[in-house]
Amino acid sequence: MALALSTPAVLWLAPLALLPLIVRLHAPQPYPSLAWLGGDPLSTALEVGLRLAGALAILALLLGIGGLHLAGQTTRQIGNGAHIVLVIDRSSSMDDSFAGSRPTAEQASKSAEARRFLRSFVSNGEHDMFGVAIFSTAPLQALPLTSHREAVLAAVDAIDRPGLSETDIARGIAMALSMHDDDPSAASRAIVLVSDGAGVIDRRVQEKLRAAFRKRPINLYWVFLRTANTRGIFEPPGAGERDVPQVAPERHLHRFFESLKIPYRAFEAERPDSIGDAVAEIARLERHPIAYVERTPAKNLSRLAYAIAALALALLVAARLAEVRITAERVP
Amino acid sequence: MADLASLQSGPLRDLPYRVAWRARGVHAGAHRGTSSGAGGLFRDLATLLEAPDPRRLDLRASLRDPFEQLYVRRFERSTAITIYALIDVSASMGFVGNMRKLEVAAAICAALSFSARRIGDRFGVIGCDREIVPELHLPAARARAGAVVAALRTFRPTRRGAGGLVDAAAQIAGRRKLVLLISDFQIAADELAAVFEALAAHDTVPIQLIDSAEAASLPRFGLLPLADLETGRRRLVVLRPSLHAAWQRERAEHEALLASLAARYARPPFRIVDRLDWDRLAAHLMEARG
Repeated sequence: MALALSTPAVLWLAPLALLPLIVRLHAPQPYPSLAWLGGDPLSTALEVGLRLAGALAILALLLGIGGLHLAGQTTRQIGNGAHIVLVIDRSSSMDDSFAGSRPTAEQASKSAEARRFLRSFVSNGEHDMFGVAIFSTAPLQALPLTSHREAVLAAVDAIDRPGLSETDIARGIAMALSMHDDDPSAASRAIVLVSDGAGVIDRRVQEKLRAAFRKRPINLYWVFLRTANTRGIFEPPGAGERDVPQVAPERHLHRFFESLKIPYRAFEAERPDSIGDAVAEIARLERHPIAYVERTPAKNLSRLAYAIAALALALLVAARLAEVRITAERVP
Repeated sequence: MADLASLQSGPLRDLPYRVAWRARGVHAGAHRGTSSGAGGLFRDLATLLEAPDPRRLDLRASLRDPFEQLYVRRFERSTAITIYALIDVSASMGFVGNMRKLEVAAAICAALSFSARRIGDRFGVIGCDREIVPELHLPAARARAGAVVAALRTFRPTRRGAGGLVDAAAQIAGRRKLVLLISDFQIAADELAAVFEALAAHDTVPIQLIDSAEAASLPRFGLLPLADLETGRRRLVVLRPSLHAAWQRERAEHEALLASLAARYARPPFRIVDRLDWDRLAAHLMEARG
């Protein structure tokens, strides 16, 4: 709770609030002797109460004029979710449909389908923090880890812009890892890799990734958007084909991920719906207690101050109206 | 409403009074005295040796005496008494509700002055708050009290306390006098007792001025900001039936105290509520008690 004033200078007038305590509130009527009165607690309480109401009214008016507000603040809370970096393939093949052709009215592009499901994924992750990295030949940090939902959605929206060039998964993953490194919190972490292909990862790069993954536990999910008539990640190579990364990069990437000894799951999506299933499964798995920071915006309390002042003034007016005179036919 | 006419005390307003005790003193007056003299009420017979006044020789009584002594009639000399009006002019007497208390007191003084002068009694006024107020001090005399009555009418009471009444009692010590103690008797209990004790030697008639606006005719509910005339203390009072009842109890207690003090040292108090009923006051003053 941090109360603040837009115009703190009004506090110079705060001593005015002492006025009701000093000046008399009523025009007193002469009375022979108040000795009868003794101590009447109700009367005393009301007298004190009215004076305080006067002081309160002045203070509240001053605070109202001064623009009392509750300063914006951040509170830490515990929710369910994870810090998730979406690593999205922006290679030109993502602009094709699952059938491997130009997108048509019936068949949207893979990136558009991915966008659709990722949007719902982002929208549903209430306490998740998302970062977005996109990669083709070179990775690009679209958005660092953040809890600003609109920004994340905007970044996700951008993935169906026309892509370019090749697929370099290793650098995308490395970027995601570095984005996680920038985030010091103890939340559960995940990388969701969305791609429609893979490339050969250099052995040295593999070692680096292995070392990076060893540093911290990160869950890895790979949503592989499999275009029709291409190799799946689970399929062993056919007879007469050599089982080398150059021939079946997806399969070998999958094996590389499995060899990392981290929680890893791969989803092979051949239809748009399977992306939804995969994403739903990821959302289900990534529900860990997470400390998240909630921002509360500044709240204007002027109205409240005016309301309090009005109440206090109403009390004073009521007291004034309830005032009676000693009823006497005055002697001239 | 106190009609002003009732307070007008022209030369016509007469306030008769009577005392049941025998006045001491040498001045001839209208009351029974202790000294015997030539005129007035027959008192007794005395031998000529005891009362050597052969002009009052009672032949019939002398002849009836087998021892042949000569008897003389003795008569009570009617004697003048001294009347004092002791007026409390402390601040509480300045309250103006349904009457002006000092106006009433002044009217009583004027009437008493007139009556006393007519029958040869001496009349004095002492106005007191915490001490005797010099401009309201008229030592007893057979003069008219017009000046002091006028001063009383215009007096603005401001000071508190009733200590002056005790001083005044000391001033008028001596022969028994008729003393009208005019006050609202809103005096602290110990001070009140001191006043009555100091006046014990005299024939004291407490006259209590009560303004119904002070209590009886207050509204049942409401906020009443009050300022104590005596102390200047300000209070906001939440009027309500329970508070009225409490006040009533307090007042009744005070009245009871006043009544018990009066029973011990003085005549029963005469209450003037809002307006002065001259006939009742006269009846009260005539209803002398030893």
